[in-house]
Amino acid sequence: MDPELINDCVHCGFCLPTCPTYVLWGEEMDSPRGRIHLMDQHVKGTPVTPEMAGHFDACLGCMACVTACPSGVRYDRLIEQTRAVVEREHERDPRERAVRGLVFSLFPYPRRLRLLRPGMRLAERLAPFLERVHPSLGAMAGLAPPAPRRQRMPRVVRARGARRAVVGMLTGCVQGEFFPQVNAATARVLALEGCDVVIPPGQGCCGALSVHSGRADQARRLARRTVRTFRRAGVDTVVVNAAGCGSSMKEYGELLGEEPGFRVLDLSEFLAELGPVAERHPLPLTVAYHDACHLAHAQGVRAQPRELLRGIPGLELREVPDAAICCGSAGTYNIFQPEAARELGDRKARSVGSTGAELLVSANPGCTMQIVAAMRRGGADIRVAHTAEVLDASLRGVSL
Amino acid sequence: MLDTLIEALRGVLPVEWVITDPVRLRTYECDGLTYHRATPGVVVLPETAEQVARVVGLCNEFAVPFVARGSGTGLSGGALPREDGVLIVTSRMRRILEVDLPNRRAVVEPGVTNLAITEAVRDQGYYYAPDPSSQQICSIGGNVAENSGGAHCLKYGFTVNHIEACEIVTPDGDLVTLDRMDPGYDLLGAFVGSEGTLGIATKITVRLSRAPQAVTTVLAAFESIEQGGKAVSAIIGAGIVPAAIEMMDALAIEAAEAAVACAYPAGAGAVLIVELDGPAVEVERQFERLREICSDAFELRVAADPAERAAIWKGRKSAFAAVGRISPAYIVQDGVVPRTSLPRVLAEIDRLSAAYDIRVANVFHAGDGNLHPLVLFDDAEPGAGERAEAVSGAILDLCIEHGGSITGEHGVGVDKAKYMPKMFSEADLDTMQLVRCAFDPRGLSNPGKVFPTPRLCGEVPGVRKGVHPLVESGRAEQF
Amino acid sequence: MPSQELAGTGVTLRDAGPGDAVCGVTPTWVALPETTGEVSAVLRACAEHDLAVVPTGGGTKLHWGPAPERCDVLLDLCCMNEIVEHAAGDLVVRAQAGVTMEALSAALAERGQELALDPPFAEGSTVGGTLAAAVAGPRAFRYGTARDLLIGITVVLPDGTIAKSGGKVVKNVAGYDLGKLFTGSFGTLGVIAEATFRLHPLPVERRWIVAVVDPPRVSPAEPCQAGELAAMLAAAQQEPSAVELDWPHGQGPIWMTVLVEGTAAHERARVLRARMGGVVKDVRDEPPPNWGLILNDDVLAEVRFEPAELTRVLDAVHYSGFSLRGSAVAGRVWLELWGDHGADKTIDAVAALRARLDDIGARLTVLATPYEGVERWGAVGSLPLMRRVKERFDPGRRMSPGRFVGGI
Repeated sequence: MDPELINDCVHCGFCLPTCPTYVLWGEEMDSPRGRIHLMDQHVKGTPVTPEMAGHFDACLGCMACVTACPSGVRYDRLIEQTRAVVEREHERDPRERAVRGLVFSLFPYPRRLRLLRPGMRLAERLAPFLERVHPSLGAMAGLAPPAPRRQRMPRVVRARGARRAVVGMLTGCVQGEFFPQVNAATARVLALEGCDVVIPPGQGCCGALSVHSGRADQARRLARRTVRTFRRAGVDTVVVNAAGCGSSMKEYGELLGEEPGFRVLDLSEFLAELGPVAERHPLPLTVAYHDACHLAHAQGVRAQPRELLRGIPGLELREVPDAAICCGSAGTYNIFQPEAARELGDRKARSVGSTGAELLVSANPGCTMQIVAAMRRGGADIRVAHTAEVLDASLRGVSL
Repeated sequence: MLDTLIEALRGVLPVEWVITDPVRLRTYECDGLTYHRATPGVVVLPETAEQVARVVGLCNEFAVPFVARGSGTGLSGGALPREDGVLIVTSRMRRILEVDLPNRRAVVEPGVTNLAITEAVRDQGYYYAPDPSSQQICSIGGNVAENSGGAHCLKYGFTVNHIEACEIVTPDGDLVTLDRMDPGYDLLGAFVGSEGTLGIATKITVRLSRAPQAVTTVLAAFESIEQGGKAVSAIIGAGIVPAAIEMMDALAIEAAEAAVACAYPAGAGAVLIVELDGPAVEVERQFERLREICSDAFELRVAADPAERAAIWKGRKSAFAAVGRISPAYIVQDGVVPRTSLPRVLAEIDRLSAAYDIRVANVFHAGDGNLHPLVLFDDAEPGAGERAEAVSGAILDLCIEHGGSITGEHGVGVDKAKYMPKMFSEADLDTMQLVRCAFDPRGLSNPGKVFPTPRLCGEVPGVRKGVHPLVESGRAEQF
Repeated sequence: MPSQELAGTGVTLRDAGPGDAVCGVTPTWVALPETTGEVSAVLRACAEHDLAVVPTGGGTKLHWGPAPERCDVLLDLCCMNEIVEHAAGDLVVRAQAGVTMEALSAALAERGQELALDPPFAEGSTVGGTLAAAVAGPRAFRYGTARDLLIGITVVLPDGTIAKSGGKVVKNVAGYDLGKLFTGSFGTLGVIAEATFRLHPLPVERRWIVAVVDPPRVSPAEPCQAGELAAMLAAAQQEPSAVELDWPHGQGPIWMTVLVEGTAAHERARVLRARMGGVVKDVRDEPPPNWGLILNDDVLAEVRFEPAELTRVLDAVHYSGFSLRGSAVAGRVWLELWGDHGADKTIDAVAALRARLDDIGARLTVLATPYEGVERWGAVGSLPLMRRVKERFDPGRRMSPGRFVGGI
């Protein structure tokens, strides 16, 4: 926890209304300003107490506070440093340790995740039982999407028409395993817009989950491997369609101490920069666009996806009230902090529901899983899609 | 004493909302003014007015002082806790209870943020007029305590002009409603702005205003602050009452530029932000006049849409926090001078700045003479902090000298209590103390704020009659 | 001897006559101080001898409120009639309490400014009296009432202490706002000696739209023209400054007059006139007769209500015998009872009307009545707190004792 970064905070409180846990509980300790104060206490000699660790753990890492801060406090870096300290210094209770161990030995590894897939139906049935064992396990089971058919991605997808760019594409672990259709759509959209899409095989986790949970060593290992993969592929731009992955990969320079040698851009960011060429076919739909925290706050990408969606004839875009507040998914948060995540999910579901939109669009699979689960709990339902899927449908002239 | 009280508090509130863990308590040690710190004895987070009343009742029973806090954004240390007392935090009381557009009012709990009220009624064409810079987070309860202003109070007035009624918990622990409609003394008027020393607001009825038909925001860049000042006088002299007239000097512009890249005209010695609002035809005519008046400006920008309007305001609204980018440490001052004294006072601030070798960035509500000098210093440099303090204090002396005030909107709190005797005579302060004693005879509600050395109630000014009975019985401390 | 002591203050003093009586209570002396210091000297002398004091300005509202329990000295502030400072560039004026509102307006108008209060009896009423009685005029809807425009005050407490609060800048939150407390205190806390107000530029143009509307018909329920127009005008972005009703004897058609002032008032009035439709009789550049006036304050009441309750307030007043004048949009009207009805009928009329108004959350306060038995105030929830304030400021109960809410 860098005291210099802590000192940047002038205690103005502008972060408070954007912080999901402050919105939930209204307590200083569960706000960014309060957490920075706790960090300061630690730096000045207070050991990490269980209470302190609890407030750090409760942070979703949504980074809405970073967007809101007028003083430019790097809370993103501070909380990462803090999580590492907590992991190092704080002794968690055994049950909690076991759950965390399970998640971190599972999620960052696509092959292990793949083993889980046939069990997904089973997980659904087991959910009530798991809930009793540990709420986190219950949450994990409840969130599991239906297992889709696996799709093998080609190594290269050639541009349609004149080639305008060559880009690498990250397949991601959760995206790749649970939402392969999103990756397929991403590749098609890029190709239709005139890009050669290079998809190196053997991609692993980019390290995002580990970074966000204070597992720096694991994160660095995974990051190095990802950098190697794309360097070998020889691309100078890597397009990412998962918000969490994109935000972590943009920070590789800081994590690894050297620049990776390629640009990392979110799909929408890249497409907006490239400019539309392919014909958009009408999609008569009302759409609520959900700002994934790791896209809106961590990467500052808000306008581009909206612009892309508005560019589709017949599509009506509706704003979700309190858009800046996290849906509670936040990477592994819904697994480790199920109650808070559930409450935030319910709030977001109500906000999304109030738009009356037919389709919920987001750039993060975690958010989508979370919001749909919350809407179902509330007896509502909504169709969901990734920005890439909506664009894909429009470019190909098929319905969604 | 406190331990017994804490036990009793746990009987009134769910245990998780009675905070006693020392690490947690310390996060409440200061509000927006970090210069003063005190770890509260205990923090409670009530959810209902009845809970607040019971907590205050218990404080009375145990003769323990209490302090109310909303979002903790105050800049005068008004919510500085007492180590021997209870901090009552209203941030969980944040329901908008009623929106009544036909009567242009809303009933809200004290923890609701200022901006949340506007957001609740904006689509219907209404808004809540007072707009302190911290409006997205500051609570309406805190606004009531501080009588908060904002950039637009030049035309629309302060919190007190927009509050219709308050349900309060008196320092005795009674729930009483103060209503503008009631005959009798204007206790509501006295309560608003009393900085938590007369009780705690638990339910607030605010007046909503109709959104103006047209808003025109103009950014005028001048070569010097004198030219800007002249334009301000000319605008007022022309009989125009803009919604806001804000001014920033070169150093403040530099800071805002560093923080939010507001892209104000390069090379400006001062920028003036003037906002006209009202009926479209009126705004249009006034804008024509304004354009003539600002003929000295080397650039005049007019916001064409809400986005451009926001862009103009962005630099101004971020100015306080932004100076952190150009200086390791700073003091935000808040003083008022008659508008016509502005040029002289600014020149004197310049002189002070040079004499003490301390940079001062000026951001101010020029329309009503409310200065917010930002006194910049490097806390690593020995003696710099003291010099900055001296400059900051001297600026307040200037304000008093010119017939102004030591605070226009941040409040007296703990920070400026010592300046009160410079602005007011002993008789003035004793008279204010009468109000305090009527509401809070035992001095338990936010003691130590606003007044430098409050007398005990029942004490006759000037004549001491031995040890006060409350002191004798150990129920109060002599200040 | 009290008289010697009073004389010793050097303040002009005369013996009181029947013409100086306050609601039938004749004081012994009338003191005519010329400075705040002299007010203080008189009050100190009164404190010394436990003399009760009633302050007065122009005396236009001296018969309002109940009779004082006792009155030894009438403190007549008419000689404190100096406008101390008019800082036109700062839009601020400081005046002694005895300056008449008319004199103040004339002086301010010379510099193109005004105090945006338009209290009744402007020619006789003073700055101090206007504050102490807190009467509001038609434009309160746009500018607020006296308490909203007052930015500084100097008062003299019953023991002679001179105290001030606020100052001469509009934006100021240092210390308690004694001005708010003294505004509307009817002389029961001390004497207002000096006041400082924020000013507004005189409007460049003014237009009055005069309309005649039908009274409400509540059973069978029908839309109320007055209520609907008031709601429209209150929300109108043409920003009228006032919407006044004048309803003589609470019967027949209601006169509704809308004031539009400031830049482009003419055009804005035209827009509003079109929206008001056929009820409009005239658009003029002079106020109609009775604008903001109190014509008869033998029996005078004030009703405050939530603006959306206008129709029901009108319905309650309909055929009650009261004339109604006041704001359709600010939720504040005066009721005048014409003709001599005698004590019993007045008591009954007030009680019946209050009962109906209570039902809709409106407040009826009887400002003036010659009859003792009339319930003037109704129940006030914060009365215990008010009593405590009174006890602190005037522990000897010597300032206008018994003249205020709950016998304060």
